[in-house]
Amino acid sequence: MASSLTSPKLTTTISSSPALQTLFFRKNLPLSFSNPFLSLPKTLTSVPNRYRRSLSHHHYSRGFVAAASADSDNGADLSRQYDFDLFTIGAGSGGVRASRFASNFGASVAICELPFSTISSETTGGVGGTCVLRGCVPKKLMVYASKYSHEFEESNGFGWKYDNEPTHDWSTLMANKNAELQRLTGIYKNILKNSGVTLIEGRGKIVDPHTVDVDGRRYSARHILISVGGRPFIPEIPGSQYVIDSDAALDLPSKPTKIAIVGGGYIALEFAGIFNGLKSDVHVFIRQKKVLRGFDEEIRDFVSEQMSVRGIEFHTEESPQAILKSADGSLSLKTSKGTVEGFSHIMFATGRRPNTRNLGLEEVGVKLNKNGAIEVDEYSRTSVPSIWAVGDVTDRLNLTPVALMEGGALAKTLFQNEPTKPVYRAVPSAVFCQPPIGQVGLTEEQAIQEYGDIDVFTANFRPLKATLSGLPDRVFMKLILSAKTQKVVGLHMCGEDSPEIVQGFAVAVKAGLTKADFDATVGVHPTASEEFVTMRTPTRKIRKDPSSEGKTDSETKAAAGV
Amino acid sequence: MSRKMLNDGEVNQTNEDDAHYDFDLFVIGAGSGGVRASRFSANFGAKVGICELPFHPISSEVVGGVGGTCVIRGCVPKKILVYGASFGGEIEDARNYGWEVNEKVDFNWKKLLQKKTDEIVRLNGIYKRLLANAGVKLFEGEGKIVGPNEVEVIQLDGTKLSYSAKHILIATGSRAHRISIPGQELAITSDEALSLEEFPKHAVVLGGGYIAVEFASIWRGLGATVDLCFRKELPLRGFDDEMRAVVARNLEGRGVNLHPRTNLTKLEKTEDGKIKATTDHGEDLIADVVLFATGRVPNTKRLNLEAAGVELDEAGAVKVDEYSRTNIPSIWAVGDVTNRMNLTPVALMEGTFFANTVFNGKPSKPDYRDVPYAVFSIPPLSVVGLSEEQAIEQAHGDILVFTSTFNPMKNTVSGSRDSSVCSRPIR
Repeated sequence: MASSLTSPKLTTTISSSPALQTLFFRKNLPLSFSNPFLSLPKTLTSVPNRYRRSLSHHHYSRGFVAAASADSDNGADLSRQYDFDLFTIGAGSGGVRASRFASNFGASVAICELPFSTISSETTGGVGGTCVLRGCVPKKLMVYASKYSHEFEESNGFGWKYDNEPTHDWSTLMANKNAELQRLTGIYKNILKNSGVTLIEGRGKIVDPHTVDVDGRRYSARHILISVGGRPFIPEIPGSQYVIDSDAALDLPSKPTKIAIVGGGYIALEFAGIFNGLKSDVHVFIRQKKVLRGFDEEIRDFVSEQMSVRGIEFHTEESPQAILKSADGSLSLKTSKGTVEGFSHIMFATGRRPNTRNLGLEEVGVKLNKNGAIEVDEYSRTSVPSIWAVGDVTDRLNLTPVALMEGGALAKTLFQNEPTKPVYRAVPSAVFCQPPIGQVGLTEEQAIQEYGDIDVFTANFRPLKATLSGLPDRVFMKLILSAKTQKVVGLHMCGEDSPEIVQGFAVAVKAGLTKADFDATVGVHPTASEEFVTMRTPTRKIRKDPSSEGKTDSETKAAAGV
Repeated sequence: MSRKMLNDGEVNQTNEDDAHYDFDLFVIGAGSGGVRASRFSANFGAKVGICELPFHPISSEVVGGVGGTCVIRGCVPKKILVYGASFGGEIEDARNYGWEVNEKVDFNWKKLLQKKTDEIVRLNGIYKRLLANAGVKLFEGEGKIVGPNEVEVIQLDGTKLSYSAKHILIATGSRAHRISIPGQELAITSDEALSLEEFPKHAVVLGGGYIAVEFASIWRGLGATVDLCFRKELPLRGFDDEMRAVVARNLEGRGVNLHPRTNLTKLEKTEDGKIKATTDHGEDLIADVVLFATGRVPNTKRLNLEAAGVELDEAGAVKVDEYSRTNIPSIWAVGDVTNRMNLTPVALMEGTFFANTVFNGKPSKPDYRDVPYAVFSIPPLSVVGLSEEQAIEQAHGDILVFTSTFNPMKNTVSGSRDSSVCSRPIR
């Protein structure tokens, strides 16, 4: 990644780390940025250079030791005083983590964030970010709320009976959900305060490699971190002004009676489950043949089957073309295959884009990719050496725990003199559709690409609860091994409690454990998860060279199936 | 009739004598351990016979059933009742998520019990099929040992069948123990608890182990008044102390009345058909049902083990070595009757390893390290590895403990007071 720094003093380029290290050990190198890889004297790294200005509306709650004298070898710029060691734009998962940890490592840190709103925009956001305010947390609360209808149904088989069928009051849910969000945003503010991070409300914009402007006030920083996240993307088609996105869907004034959800990703499926559980009539429109592109094929098939059985209607290979509003206020969705009418709401869950507009990035030379994501190296550094980026704005793995990992690694890199690269191998994740999905490692398709020869173990069964409830709920579980090493390279599950279960097994997959390790682990009984440690016979073995063992590719594919 | 016998190792050497054994293996008891050992041994080529008492949800000296405790009167029906009982709390929580549910939701105990019975009968059938599919011959009746290579099966009509076997496996499991206090005949054990005709509006549970805790949770979840009496300060002796305290707190939070350091001294019938239980603190508790969850003892009394000289320990469990072999070379034992770790997956492990040792030429010892398990209280407890107390005792160095106590997200809106605790002692 080439640098495009404005400072004339800089002669280095940002490249892969070994080159970086070699470059920066040359002592006569003039620097205009703090370099974590340079062998600075301990005093300097542990006690960051800091210029303390008394800003009228902030006060430092921690007493820091004054900066030690700079080593004369390190160039004039290290003696430059900045308002902060780190200025973070965006107080979401990545930004708060990086800021907190940096502050705990002794840095002086400020963070800016837009004022709170449940709906994000160029001018609204809130401390906590997408995850806390309009993502993970409210989503999960809505999933909890919507699951109860299924539980009421299950409970009939266990002897429970209701004089009247339970009904749902949307406004109670919204009020309680919003109260919880307020509580959490308050907690995040306290977390920042308790770590000694200065929180500034307003819209941050980069002025130069060391300066951020927040609604007219300027702050200088040794390092700038961009962690502004992403926002829902809705393509512009006729009638798209009638469309709601996930932000709005989490804060509707009333429950949809009939809703069209356009999209086949996790957000579309989660909302389909939520509204279906709350007894809306749900239709999902996807461009592809199947939902959840990128997921394991068998999981894709299983989850749509289970969701269909719960009453969700899927319209596949249909692209949205227009939305029409009729006189009675209902909406129709015109697709490549026809028009479906009578929707109270139409939601597009058609992707999210990084929030990189109007941040001053182009002007300062921070490179973006074609999706508008900030390009970073393995240490989360942008093309401008003093500017870094973590979280959804970099569009790597858009998950809160990954943003936390990136933020934590950055704090170590910058302020612990421990250059740390986030590791993206075997990151587990979940889709909170109903039934939910948990996964870690590779899909079968990816495993074949990477390993050639693989062994696949699957289980597809009716869980104990369903034998009594009488409902058609099933569970699907899958292990994928590298045939050669017998290491479990992929683990997938779709069924009740999958996300909780897969978190535990993710440790085993990350540790590179083998099928023998799994088999040697005694099960907990009676549970669904014990199935993962009692899979005896491979469902299929895929061999690149058909003569080496087992069936040919076409035979194995024919044998495959849930 | 004759089957190929594997010929590896000293355990199972073929010689001319073999031809005259009726079976390579005869198993007494078709529960988790017995069925697993039988099937796997048969799969390795052994000719296997197994006997089991006739099916009944409530066990006795003369009734049991294929599937054993786990399937018929343990793990499975217990879990079904826990599911049933959990809905109570869920329905409560649902209100705060916006659901409008009747003030009082009706619960049909008989329906739940009937469905439970349907399920265990179905599983009993499945286990019989598993045995048949593996080619294992199933005899219904009470098995006894006659000699090191001879068993006897007393059928229902009283006729006795005698069989010779190269190896005998004892897998008769265990049964609930009743303490002998005056009026003990008024109390029930877990067997009866899983098959109660009427739902107990008020239950007294005596015991501090997982069975006591699970039943307390089940009945409380279904709306009963529950008094749980146990001898120690906290239930679940042997578990991590911190976790015991969490379980106790959660039980109390759900409305179970805890009586620590309490024993029952007598039971008496009252005029209106209830039971008066007197504690050693002089308190009287009036209950519809009194459950003794005061331990389980191995089923070894009627096996006639003396005839072969099989040694038992003080608790009446069959003594075995690491390969599950008794002091008699041709007699083995797995599962609860050996009182090692009384869990179904462990019995399965012991049965599997037995089959590998005896019929697959691969002598292997079951590994009891880091066996995970759960207590299905509501909310449940799950454990793997050492408690903090054990870790301190066994650690040659110091230990680090990481804990996390939190109100799970679901409860922030539902208002439930359960607390979740994770604890991780590290050496």
